[in-house]
Amino acid sequence: MDKSTLLLLAIVLAVFGTSVAAGRPSWGIFTGIAIILLAAGLAAGALPMRSDDYFDERAGAGQRISKSLVTLSSTAIVAIYAAGYHRTNAAAHKFDSQSEQGRTVAEATPAPPPTPENPPAPAEPLGSLSSSTPAVKKNVRKPAAANPKSGSASTEPGESPASASETGANPAAKAAASVQTSYKDGLFLGWGSCRHGDIEASVQIQDGKIVTAAITQCLTRYSCSWISPRVPSPVLPDLPREVVERQSAKVDYVSGATESSYAFADAITAALSKASE
Amino acid sequence: MHSPMPSLQPCPKRASDDIVRTAVRMGTFVTIHVVGPAAAHKSEAHSPMLREEAVEGAFAWFDRVEECCTRFDSGSEVMRLAAQAGVPVPVSTLLYQAVQFALAVAEESGGAFDPTVGHAMETRGFNREYRSGRQIRSALDRGAPVSYRDVRLDPERKTITLLRPLVIDLGAVAKGLAVDLAARELSPFENFAINAGGDLYLGGRNPDSEPWSIGIRHPRSDADLIEAVRVSNRAVCTSGDYEKRSADGGHHILDPRTGASANGVASVTVIAPTAMLADALATAAFVLGPAEGIQLFDRLGVNGLIFSVPSFSTDCVAPDLPVLTRYATQAMHEYL
Repeated sequence: MDKSTLLLLAIVLAVFGTSVAAGRPSWGIFTGIAIILLAAGLAAGALPMRSDDYFDERAGAGQRISKSLVTLSSTAIVAIYAAGYHRTNAAAHKFDSQSEQGRTVAEATPAPPPTPENPPAPAEPLGSLSSSTPAVKKNVRKPAAANPKSGSASTEPGESPASASETGANPAAKAAASVQTSYKDGLFLGWGSCRHGDIEASVQIQDGKIVTAAITQCLTRYSCSWISPRVPSPVLPDLPREVVERQSAKVDYVSGATESSYAFADAITAALSKASE
Repeated sequence: MHSPMPSLQPCPKRASDDIVRTAVRMGTFVTIHVVGPAAAHKSEAHSPMLREEAVEGAFAWFDRVEECCTRFDSGSEVMRLAAQAGVPVPVSTLLYQAVQFALAVAEESGGAFDPTVGHAMETRGFNREYRSGRQIRSALDRGAPVSYRDVRLDPERKTITLLRPLVIDLGAVAKGLAVDLAARELSPFENFAINAGGDLYLGGRNPDSEPWSIGIRHPRSDADLIEAVRVSNRAVCTSGDYEKRSADGGHHILDPRTGASANGVASVTVIAPTAMLADALATAAFVLGPAEGIQLFDRLGVNGLIFSVPSFSTDCVAPDLPVLTRYATQAMHEYL
């Protein structure tokens, strides 16, 4: 029911309850109070829903918006955190997101008019999607051991039955699937540079998607640990400390992006251009 | 205390209790640092293993936010939304809240921050697909101007309707959002830091039991700090004109209201309760300019610093560092 209708009903009930309580001294007082309580309950139910709605509140005074913006960011985070679950197991997480994408494609399928007219059609893509899921799972293991060439070869047969059966039902779904497999599987390296030197990055691709990206070499004037000061990390090589220490000796962290992180992005770009050749 | 050179560090005991992890997420380096328990007054509940798990969980939020909000994957939720203009699309809580927040900032800043013109401008670092370098250009009618008013939210059904074909760019919101979600994941721990490529959230105190000390990068020199702030339970985000990532090498921040280059601001730092807010406001202030930007911060009750350059030297990286003008909010001194 609409919130404003609820509120209106609450007010009407409250007025009615008051008049009943005032008019009939013997039993009316209890009935009246009961009706007023019901009205209060309705109002309480309707009012909190209003405060959820930032854009309704916005209609009010200008100053109230300002406070809402700070609150809004906090409530957004609480809401997302509460709604979301997380997996510590990265593999499970990845698998989950893949099947989730599959599901949404399946949900999208009934939307275009041709599908409902053709009853067997919806059943087919759903079945093929679920059967393609184990195939995806198998492929995850293969490229890790195999070299890039054979990895990419093994991916394609796994993908094609799914997209082929989808073709009849929804061309859009097929297009979406083909975009995601534009990279060759394997491990690719690339260099990037900035004023301070060069960074080599690696990109690991499985099933046409990037699974990891990391720094493999860092030849900058300053240590790569600069990007994240004071951090010993297996990813970042332990380079000899350079002479020029940032003023960060006194600070814990630095706010603002650094040249080195751009160099990293360039290195990844170079690595990926090899993967899409 | 986390330096590889222990000789400089008189208290190696503390360092061994800290957990510090760095990984690549959302096109940048993400460092998560959980300060070890301070000897006596911490319960045993926070075992090293629990802390490791929480750090893993914190990183997982970066993955989830990126999966949902990236413009660089046609399968991401935000791009699937872009493909369905004109109809209400049910979306996840994550996307709904992120978009609702972005629209609220757009409204508040009078359109200086606008998530719908993002595909036409390069507001933040790494606008190229950092993993492929491809310029993402959707097949939209680029002639029709769009604005945040072309996005409708239905708070009851949790749907988003794009009145016109457009791409919502959550670039200035997503990274901050991920930082905030990670911070929430780490909330069982009093003292921690999250650094996502210079966008930070600092929980509690640093390993010396003092407020975290955060340097602000000098906008004209990568190697120097222009200021340092002391914060606790706050996010610190900095947006600078040095973040030149557009393909044509041009100025990276455009005013969504005019389409012209936003000149005059060298860098903006915002200190706010959440990184999402700090990040978005830093972008907004960049467009608004120093005076209006500081006004916006004061009105919202956040703090910030803006360094501006004389307009004639905006694009000039001279050997001599140009003189920067410093603007600060009224209560900024509390953090200095």
